[in-house]
Amino acid sequence: MRRSAYTWRTFGLELLLLVVAVVFFVPFYVAAAISLKSASDVYSKPLAFPSNPDFSGYRTAWHGNASSSLGHSLVNSIVITGASVVGLVVIGSLAAYALARRPSRMSTLLYVLFLLGLIVPFQLGIVPLYVALRHLHLNQQYGGMILLYIGLLMPLSVFLYTGFIRALPRDYEEASYVDGASSLRTFLRIVFPLLRPVTGTVIVLSAILIWNDFFTQLIFLSGSRQQTLPVAIYSFVGEYVSQWNQIFAAVIISILPILAFYVVAQRQLIRGFAGGVKG
Amino acid sequence: MAGVVFRAVGKVYPDGNRALSGLDLAVADGELMVLVGPSGCGKSTALRMVAGLEEVTEGEIAIGERTVNRVPPQQRDVAMVFQNYALYPHLSVYDNIAYPLRSRGVPRGEIRARVERTAAAMGLGDLLRRKPRTLSGGQRQRVAMARAMVREPQAFLMDEPLSNLDAKLRVQMRAEIARLQHDLAVTMLYVTHDQVEAMTMGDRIAALRKGVLQQLGTARQLYDEPVNLFVATFIGSPAMNLLRARVSAGGPSLRLTVGEQTLDVEAGRWASVRRYDGAVVALGVRPEHCQPPRTVEPTWPRLRGRVRLVETLGAEELVHLDIEGEPVLADEVLEVVEDADASMVQSLHQGAEERRVPVVARFPTEEAPAPESLIEVALRPDRLHLFDLATGAAIH
Repeated sequence: MRRSAYTWRTFGLELLLLVVAVVFFVPFYVAAAISLKSASDVYSKPLAFPSNPDFSGYRTAWHGNASSSLGHSLVNSIVITGASVVGLVVIGSLAAYALARRPSRMSTLLYVLFLLGLIVPFQLGIVPLYVALRHLHLNQQYGGMILLYIGLLMPLSVFLYTGFIRALPRDYEEASYVDGASSLRTFLRIVFPLLRPVTGTVIVLSAILIWNDFFTQLIFLSGSRQQTLPVAIYSFVGEYVSQWNQIFAAVIISILPILAFYVVAQRQLIRGFAGGVKG
Repeated sequence: MAGVVFRAVGKVYPDGNRALSGLDLAVADGELMVLVGPSGCGKSTALRMVAGLEEVTEGEIAIGERTVNRVPPQQRDVAMVFQNYALYPHLSVYDNIAYPLRSRGVPRGEIRARVERTAAAMGLGDLLRRKPRTLSGGQRQRVAMARAMVREPQAFLMDEPLSNLDAKLRVQMRAEIARLQHDLAVTMLYVTHDQVEAMTMGDRIAALRKGVLQQLGTARQLYDEPVNLFVATFIGSPAMNLLRARVSAGGPSLRLTVGEQTLDVEAGRWASVRRYDGAVVALGVRPEHCQPPRTVEPTWPRLRGRVRLVETLGAEELVHLDIEGEPVLADEVLEVVEDADASMVQSLHQGAEERRVPVVARFPTEEAPAPESLIEVALRPDRLHLFDLATGAAIH
């Protein structure tokens, strides 16, 4: 075997990776640097390193203004994202199981309907959705928002789960039935654990989409006690004056939970994406 | 324990494909019944119908006294070992074996005792905490067996459980399963496409072809008295030699003409053979009934042929001859040949064009002939089989 040597090619690649890393790092640096500056420093030397950090931006952002506080918005974001993701996993996996394992004309039709949901942009239906939620008195409520997200992202969840279940050997389920387990027990004890890789995908994709979503949350939640992080951050953007140190402090705070989640769960996540079902 | 009874059982899939027709079969309590046949013969379908994994579309299946056509698999109280074992990959060996007990709400303490007892009996005591993917093929097989045994079901259903093992392990597990079945006196329905497995394990064997039961009997019966060309070709390795022969039943003895050669045998063995006077039939003879003339009685009929190949098996020699004549190219024969080795079909057809029939004889080692030599083989007259070429049925 040829001994691997450090060549100019390797050096070039490393240099390229370093440049890419710097490009990705710059926005984070800017956000962190500005968030640690006083309101006056923000304009005088925006990109300089914050030599004497000023946490007033964080303090103000956290306590918020009259309508909302960042702490409260953080809780709202977590509740709405968490509950929606749970709903998407539970209902999506069950629905997909039925669609994949009970072949009939009806299930094909339903599957196509879900696919259409993936294709059609939901913004087209935003007005009727808004009207419907208001009639149901679910406007500006956790429940309404969660219901909305479960509905909006269910096609994605069903699509991912159905594809995975179709590729899953039936033997495990059949073995479970012969072993005396009911359909529900078979699903809970055998099928659902085997879906772990795709459940990971559904959780990550839908959590990111919901956590970062601004448009829907602005329309359905702005001004309410239930407003979420993106909406709260937006409220710091004033009509005449934008408090950039507060805005970036809020941005940093909103990134932290996702970052923490990733650090804690990264090994699980990567294993989930990489691994299939191994007998 | 209970017996399993098929009464005129048939299976037609929704797309119109027929997998099984008119199966009548009674597996006695404590019996090991082997369902054997080439792929697509309906044997696995029959098994899955007993398990409740396939709907019974015709006839009825009973386990013990109970007709189970409409009973869901959970309530049939049978255990099944799948071809790929279907061990739950996310559960430990312990949890895999405990699963059927937990599904039936057995108390926790009893589960522990029974799992440990069964695991110990199967030699799995040290592996209980391992996940299936860390086990070898043989160990997985044992776990699958343990999962089936742990709850003492009415019947065991085995769907080609040894086909994923290597040859040596297969022989070992074959004996082990047969011993377990015998020791526990359990009813077992065992599906395989391997006729050696069927012969060595089964109390009785049911040979199936294209969804139809061909013959039911002991290994000895199927081997010695095959009822048709299919069973004759399928059971036995190397397979029975088959040659086209013209019958002359006019004289005191029966004369069979193979190519230019004639064989005179006593006609008394075949009561109905006179009906075939002048017709062409299939003459069947097993390799061990083709012997060197020197070693047998001079009255045995003989065939001449050219030695193509001599295979040494150690205890004996397999002598491959080409005999002038025509091979039997009936569908059921070709099907079995193709199932074993697809390239053989072509060589049979080629042989037909060149008017030569491949014949295999088992010779004692000291009688091994030289390749390319012209030799005679003597056929044991009381072990010759005649088959009707139109129907494939044995002539009696």
